[in-house]
Amino acid sequence: MPQMIACFKWVVDEAYIRVGASGDLDMNAVDYKISDYDKNALEEAARIREQAGGSVAAVTVGVPEATKGVKDALSRGAEKAFFIQDPSFRDLEPSQTARILAAVIQSRIPYDLILCGEGSSDLYARQVGPRLAELLGIPCLSFVQKLTVEGDRVVAERRTDEGQEVCTAPMPVLVTVLPDINTPRIPSVRDTLMASKKEVVPVRKEDLPDISSPFLETVSMKGTSLKRSGTRFTEDPGDVKAFVDTLLQKGVLK
Amino acid sequence: MAGIWILGENRELTGELLTAGGELAAATGEKISVLLWKDRSRAEEYFALGADEILVLPELPEDVPPEALIPVITGEAKTSQPGLILLPATVRGREMAARVAAGLGTGLCSDAVAVRWNGERKTFEMERLAYGGMAVQKVVFRTAPAMATIPPRTFAPAPEKEGRTGTVRELPGPPPSPVRVVERKKRERTVRDLREARIIVCAGRGIEKQEDLRIARELAEALGGEIACTRPLSEEYHWLPEDLCIGLSGISVKPELYIGLGVSGQVQHITGIRDAKVIAAVNKDENAPIFQTADLGIVGDLYGVVPNLIQEIRKARGQ
Repeated sequence: MPQMIACFKWVVDEAYIRVGASGDLDMNAVDYKISDYDKNALEEAARIREQAGGSVAAVTVGVPEATKGVKDALSRGAEKAFFIQDPSFRDLEPSQTARILAAVIQSRIPYDLILCGEGSSDLYARQVGPRLAELLGIPCLSFVQKLTVEGDRVVAERRTDEGQEVCTAPMPVLVTVLPDINTPRIPSVRDTLMASKKEVVPVRKEDLPDISSPFLETVSMKGTSLKRSGTRFTEDPGDVKAFVDTLLQKGVLK
Repeated sequence: MAGIWILGENRELTGELLTAGGELAAATGEKISVLLWKDRSRAEEYFALGADEILVLPELPEDVPPEALIPVITGEAKTSQPGLILLPATVRGREMAARVAAGLGTGLCSDAVAVRWNGERKTFEMERLAYGGMAVQKVVFRTAPAMATIPPRTFAPAPEKEGRTGTVRELPGPPPSPVRVVERKKRERTVRDLREARIIVCAGRGIEKQEDLRIARELAEALGGEIACTRPLSEEYHWLPEDLCIGLSGISVKPELYIGLGVSGQVQHITGIRDAKVIAAVNKDENAPIFQTADLGIVGDLYGVVPNLIQEIRKARGQ
């Protein structure tokens, strides 16, 4: 019965970001969420536990406000959470997140199978999973769309650029999942209530070995304008004709 | 710094990375090494495209995945200390890059869309998209080597130059890998490559049933275009193959005309059509975000609008 870790990130919901006139990102009215594909990682861990037994610990690195995300993760099937927190953990780069996760997992969390989302909704760098596997010195199976635990190994169907590739690897192993591996559950009221009773292990920056500085420096983060003129038409037949006339004028209809 | 490394997966991707690498080699005065992962016979070809050195990775048995080469690449990078390593932003390229970067303790810019040498700061400067395409993140490196994955088709293929040659060196075999490949299924491309399409009709969640894709198909036919879809239609409902999914996690297209039918316009999708000449939309929700990013839109029920639209288009095209 595998001991599982599902990693997740508490991120800005990009649907709420506004781009200011100067190209600056306006984060004043943003909401937060568990990064989309990390919900698939949490779901996959819960699914495997329901079928094969074992345990699921949810792990995140973030700012203290991410406590909402920890509760959300616990309502999605994990029975315990490790919350690695510090006010300075706001804009970590993937290499830092991976180094922090590796330090905490190595020292505190026994595991057979680590699940990560393919990439996060904010940066979508798709680095943390593979970096973490490398730092822990365990095999990595990335971009997995179907996963089965068979005894002490996993069988994973990966989606590559050429097609599909079915791989096996002995546990301990790290798997990054694609969004189509499952449909994440919508936590019920009962799940949410139960979540607040579950154990959250806090890990603070002071408890960690010195996590060295970032390898990259972000010199700017500028909003891009995707806005276009947006001429509107109604569904009246006359308007539909005017719409087609506009396409002709623009020379895209031949 | 000792050179620029390129780890392309095939001829096409290596050719594109050689264009990126070639510009940086000119700016920095560095030599270019191409790591051959497959296609060992291509050394001469890569010299012609700009490589100065070929590092030949060992051949692997059928059931060993290419990721088994990661320790070989990391080991050689520790010895020869390249200043920059470029890989394609493909499934394998992304995993390999992240693991090599972790092994070397260095930074990696994923999906770099611009790569420059900043001579003043003596660092590589790169740009990538963040927040689903809402923002451009510019990074510089504090560690060496600098590393990047570059999406296919970001750079044009490098031109062949006659009379170029270089050295070939074999790299050692990999340590045993615990991962086995037990089956490979090649994906049959059942559809045309959308990246070449001049007109695209994209079906979104506003299409209620799989049979109703017919409406989008008929419109595409009237326009002489191709059909595509948003992520939920390929990944959640499996109505259309993933090759037709447009967006950050799918493909990016640059048609002259894009028409979204029942497409809400999430930023991840819009990022995939940002280079379209004209973006049009039909959606019954007047507040759908796609109207903000469209050149023209019809606010209305696609089920009522599209048949009229097809008629008008047929008339206009003299069909």
